[in-house]
Amino acid sequence: MAMTHKARILAAARKQAVDKLPFGARIDVWYNYHSSHGTLPEKYKGCNMVEILRDQGAGAQVRHLRIWRVEYDNLEVVIHEDPPHKTTEWRTPLGTVTMKTIFTPQEGPWIVYEVDHPFKTKEDYRVIEYILENTRIVADLDEYHQKERMAGEDGMVMTGMDLYSPMQAIMRYWIGYERFFYELHDNPAQVERLYELEKELAKQKLQILGDSPVEMPLLCANWSDEFHTPIFAKYFIPWLREASDYLHAKGKVTHVHADGEMRRLIPLFLETGIDVAEAWSPVPMTRVTTAELRKAWGDKVTIWGGIPAVLFEPQYSEEEFDAYVMNLFKEISPGYNFIVGMGDNLPFDGKIERVGRVAELIDKYGRLPLEV
Amino acid sequence: MVDYSAVQQAVIDGDDEKTVQLVKEALEQDLNPADIVASGLQAAMSIVGSKFSSGEFFVPEMLLAARAVTKALEVLRPRLLDPGTVTIGRVVIGTVAGDIHDIGKNLVSMFLQGAGFEVIDLGTDVSAQSFVAAVKEHNPDILGMSALLTTTMPGMQATIEALESAGIRRQVKVVVGGGPVTQHFADRIGADGYGADGGAAIELCRKLIKE
Ligand code: B12
Repeated sequence: MAMTHKARILAAARKQAVDKLPFGARIDVWYNYHSSHGTLPEKYKGCNMVEILRDQGAGAQVRHLRIWRVEYDNLEVVIHEDPPHKTTEWRTPLGTVTMKTIFTPQEGPWIVYEVDHPFKTKEDYRVIEYILENTRIVADLDEYHQKERMAGEDGMVMTGMDLYSPMQAIMRYWIGYERFFYELHDNPAQVERLYELEKELAKQKLQILGDSPVEMPLLCANWSDEFHTPIFAKYFIPWLREASDYLHAKGKVTHVHADGEMRRLIPLFLETGIDVAEAWSPVPMTRVTTAELRKAWGDKVTIWGGIPAVLFEPQYSEEEFDAYVMNLFKEISPGYNFIVGMGDNLPFDGKIERVGRVAELIDKYGRLPLEV
Repeated sequence: MVDYSAVQQAVIDGDDEKTVQLVKEALEQDLNPADIVASGLQAAMSIVGSKFSSGEFFVPEMLLAARAVTKALEVLRPRLLDPGTVTIGRVVIGTVAGDIHDIGKNLVSMFLQGAGFEVIDLGTDVSAQSFVAAVKEHNPDILGMSALLTTTMPGMQATIEALESAGIRRQVKVVVGGGPVTQHFADRIGADGYGADGGAAIELCRKLIKE
């Protein structure tokens, strides 16, 4: 019996043999945009993402942010909604911090983006410390189970630690990228104190993941060579290693969402112990080719991705698209430890038929070992 | 005597306190403020820019260097006989509509400030109409636009068209940049220039000002 999409993806992630190239496609930007504008193709009206991808012959990625939630003690959280913005206020006995986010799913995004971060002045360190000290992580799997049922054997529910590893949480959520680097330079002890507190919370998340049915947990998302490389060895590798080792001992494989510019992170990645780099976005989205990445990683890391999102846009012809995919097969030959996918999403103006085209090309040329 | 290579080194090291201290000492020694800017700060930013282009530096080093220069300029500004001597041109900059990526745009604007441009930053998610209004209001030499998403890049073309409809396209040089933007794209939409990074943005704007 042929393997299912999910079985094939998991096997490749575990570096086991598969019959043909696994394919896990991601279309939530396209789907969210068209379902809220009422512009889904006629035959897909009323369908969910997995059904659409099944029709295209592709395996599905179903995104689920986290299988836990936070609860607070001894502080009050007040939320003001002013769509598309939302302001969150953490009121603590030591002071209040606020954060503004934007959420525009009708334009594609499935998550909120921070437009203003809680940390604004040095005084906010004590408040954020207080918040972290009074945070508890609680398992929350109901929605995950629902999505599991929706994905079935046709895909994977992509979930785990949330988007951030501990230092990323400080960098991207609490302080914001630019100010983070000034703070790390000016007040390293205080930044590191927040890092330690985030690590404690991350350990609680890790335990929940370890005890959960999630087969391939996400450890973090969205690195970029030009921000993360200089601090990667000190603040990322030790934690990612610890988390990977813990989850490996629980029989799991780990993954990260590696959609950014990767060049100078490529050698460092090998020290993390992470099994799968997902959302791999090669040239022309970034400056690295799949061939270069394969050469650097050999069979140590399973790569998931390889077709940059822009290739699905009408600016590329059908011939150019086919040629790109065929060249990808050549670059990854013999094709083990590779999951075909997009980096990172079908754009709203992308062509859904090209997802089907990838499935066709895999059926035709994607038996392993590849012979293109 | 404060020597300019020490000022440059402090900037390159991202040491804002030392940069400011050296600039203060230079002023006490009656060095010409305009020279401190040109031979100390701007020279340093050129070095930092080329270290980034060559892959030796990362974003954090650029941010810290740019901050050191910004702080030093605050000290210098009141001492410049004609504050106009630090301003070699005026730039209005922003990230295009629908796009909230601003780290690259902020770096470019700090670099340009460090190089002696006056920069008016319109922030992110700036519509073509807002760019046009800002050009009318501030009458800049250069309009800079940043985009990080392939889906928001068309906002650059829309802005150029809006400048044309408003009859002010020829008053201002338009430069573009950001991850997915290329020289080819800049040529296609009729921009006057493209810059790959902060250092390139300085060179580009200097060149356009001279034209
Ligand atoms: C940080 C980041 C974010 C942050 C932005 C935080 C912020 N305040 O800016 C957050 C988390 C909010 C974010 C959100 C999203 N992001 Co984002 N993000 C990135 C990331 C990791 C880094 C971008 C960056 O800052 N680079 C560093 C700076 C210094 O580089 P730069 O901007 O290119 O600027 C330099 C040059 O280009 C130039 N330059 C820039 N502007 C200008 C202007 C002029 C005039 C000149 C001359 C030069 C110039 O000089 C700069 C300095 O050297 C990239 C991936 C990557 N590169 O690794 C993705 C990336 C840009 N994001 C991407 C996407 C898709 C998104 C989202 C749509 C996510 C989603 N799927 O829902 C949202 C969009 C939100 C929105 N509406 O804008 C894609 C874009 C794909 C594409 N090409 O269309 C990327 C490439 C990731 C990927 N591979 O998928 N993102």
